[in-house]
Amino acid sequence: MSVGHIARLLEENQIPTIITASKVFEKQLQAMHLPRVLLTSNLAGRPLGKPFDRTTQKDIIVKGLDLLDKAQENGTVAHYEI
Amino acid sequence: MNQDNKSSQTMENFKNSFFYGSRSDLNFKFLSMISDEKAGDFIQGLFKKIAVSHDTGELNALFDYVINAQKAAYSKDVRISYNDGPFSSMKKRSDQARIMLFTSSGHFVKTEDPKPLGVDNMTQEQAESRIMEFIKHEPELSAIPKETHYDDLMVRHGGYDIKGAKKDPNVAFPLEIFRELEQEKVIGSLADTAFSFVGACSQKRLLKRTGPKWVNKIKAMDVDAVFLVPV
Repeated sequence: MSVGHIARLLEENQIPTIITASKVFEKQLQAMHLPRVLLTSNLAGRPLGKPFDRTTQKDIIVKGLDLLDKAQENGTVAHYEI
Repeated sequence: MNQDNKSSQTMENFKNSFFYGSRSDLNFKFLSMISDEKAGDFIQGLFKKIAVSHDTGELNALFDYVINAQKAAYSKDVRISYNDGPFSSMKKRSDQARIMLFTSSGHFVKTEDPKPLGVDNMTQEQAESRIMEFIKHEPELSAIPKETHYDDLMVRHGGYDIKGAKKDPNVAFPLEIFRELEQEKVIGSLADTAFSFVGACSQKRLLKRTGPKWVNKIKAMDVDAVFLVPV
């Protein structure tokens, strides 16, 4: 998974990352031992939800930012719940 | 492009036709990754769910059914694995931090087409038909200024169904929402530039060559964290 490579490279360079992805790719993301991952229950290609569902899209991002702040160790994976 | 003959098809031909074939559908290309029996079970289950959804008016169970089937198929396709990984702590909270948006959704500014594979104005259909070339090539990074209006944005990516991202970039490239979060002081600030690329690319080149160059560029931009969105 391309973004996983970028996340690892950024972290190696002391830049913290959060990945927000569809749970469709949970196994791939877990296998890459990424620092922080928020998984959503959306179709691949629409990780932040349905078009124009601004409330949910924004809430997912805010939850991602919260995970960015709170995660203390590599491999922190959370599931977004409405 | 996967060639298939519709007139005398086996189950295998049928399910493979969704993978860049005569029935190409990037939401259902996963059918080619599962056994004939499982594909049959999936389709039978889908028909049942459609009838239930019709009768109840409840669509989420239908969507969940498809998403879980995608997940089950892709779960068997884990190609890269590490035993551990790096972790960098946040030095300041996100409401004080400078955050960068970085996605693999294939968005770019209309006037700055990355011209993949050296092609001017490549269409989405062309990108899909040349997906096997994309995955052998080094990706191009598109810089998108934070004030970019969505009317000036385009998306092209041969690896996923872009219809949602075309209608509303926020489903995969939420620049507008990050601007709002900056105004509302939920984040300290949004980096002046967001980035996007086509994630369907040579993984080896991305890891060894392109990725390190991009990370050096980002380091020079003085950001506190990067918010990544894969598709």
